[in-house]
Amino acid sequence: MKKVLSGVLLGLFMNMTCAFAEEVWPLPDWSPAADINSPAWDHVQAYAFAPRDEHNREGVRTDALLVIKSGRIVYEHYAAPTTAQTPHLTWSISKSVLATVLGVANSDGRFNLKDPVARFYPPMQAHPQVRIEDLLHWASGLDWQEDYEYAPLHSSVVAMLYTRGRADMAAYTAARPAANAPGQRFLYSSGDSNLLAAALRTMVGPERYPQYPWEALFTPLGITSAVWERDVSGTLVGSSYLYMSARDLARVGLLMLRDGRWQSQQLLPKEWVLFNRSLFSKAVSQPGEANPGGQWWLNRPLPGGEQPWPDAPQDTFAALGHWGQALYVLPEEQLVVVRYADDRDGHFEHNELLKRVLAAQAGGRP
Amino acid sequence: MKRVLLVLLLLGGAWVWYERQALADFQGILSAYSAKEYCSCRFVMGFDAPYCQAYVRQYLPLSRLEENGQTREVSAAGLGVERRAVWRGVREGCGLLP
Repeated sequence: MKKVLSGVLLGLFMNMTCAFAEEVWPLPDWSPAADINSPAWDHVQAYAFAPRDEHNREGVRTDALLVIKSGRIVYEHYAAPTTAQTPHLTWSISKSVLATVLGVANSDGRFNLKDPVARFYPPMQAHPQVRIEDLLHWASGLDWQEDYEYAPLHSSVVAMLYTRGRADMAAYTAARPAANAPGQRFLYSSGDSNLLAAALRTMVGPERYPQYPWEALFTPLGITSAVWERDVSGTLVGSSYLYMSARDLARVGLLMLRDGRWQSQQLLPKEWVLFNRSLFSKAVSQPGEANPGGQWWLNRPLPGGEQPWPDAPQDTFAALGHWGQALYVLPEEQLVVVRYADDRDGHFEHNELLKRVLAAQAGGRP
Repeated sequence: MKRVLLVLLLLGGAWVWYERQALADFQGILSAYSAKEYCSCRFVMGFDAPYCQAYVRQYLPLSRLEENGQTREVSAAGLGVERRAVWRGVREGCGLLP
């Protein structure tokens, strides 16, 4: 009996080591696939790195494109002056990374999704019904105008980053009037994300706060290039000002691809990743626009709506930022894609890039 | 004709009064944006000065954009307003000065 038991245990152990041995992790750095940058990627390269018009700044202007398949680099290219080492501005990808940092705080039991924000950020006592979950859904109900170039006169995000709000971005947001009941309506707001960044300070304590993203997420993942700018009050600009290299951002993508697990450590609760990847059911479908999940963007269609990126699998999810920044995760295909860019117009299409990436990587499949 | 002009002037004046806060803020956007994003372009992303000057270029021109490489401080002036940003550290990057 003992022999049988130890045999079974040994078998289990062998299976487990096999399962882990098959998985490739970027330790210490990413390893390239045997056929990295093969001619199969020519159509991807032609679309992403079309000749650049530096004067009029028109068209698709990719700075970095990195594709990871099953933990290995299958395609990587940079447009000067961006290199593999450049900590590139991620703009609103910051929001999804902040959510991932919050996921670690959540696994340490520092808050619950249903907690009122005011418990962690007193100025939100003006809006006592708003919960952490509502902020993660961009559904605080606070009045907000998220436009950069087209409506500078009334843009809340421009006022928050550059004028009235710049000293204390969370306080600026908390002072906005309510336009809707919390949790009822999706209204994309960088202010909601900065309220999360301010709440994090109380959740983890003011001493730990400045280094918390590093302690909780960056160092365990081996991310060394991260820079996260703060406002004058010291709150992380969780909405907009995180920088890291493309290779480092891909580590966040791999963590999400593997349901919050980094090697043998479950860094984020699986339920947290499930929440990130679940549709905010009260959102309304916008043609061509990815749908909001928990501070991440989903390709899953809303009831009665179209699939935002028809050529990508439905389970595709992403972190997206101004001027074309993107981190895509395609679980079915075991793909992570990082794109940094300086798109100054609307030419770039997520669907077109993903379609070409899928075609290229299908070519190399056995 | 005079009456039409007067009505237009009054309407214009009313609009300026109604939007006085937004208009006053607007003046400061260009220099604040340029100082902050130029500082980050140079000292966080590590790009060269000509690239960063082009990177922050907007439809409205700046009257001045200067960097101090030693203190890593940037000063930008436009629409009659000056704003400054400074590099604060390897993890903290740049920020606007109050």
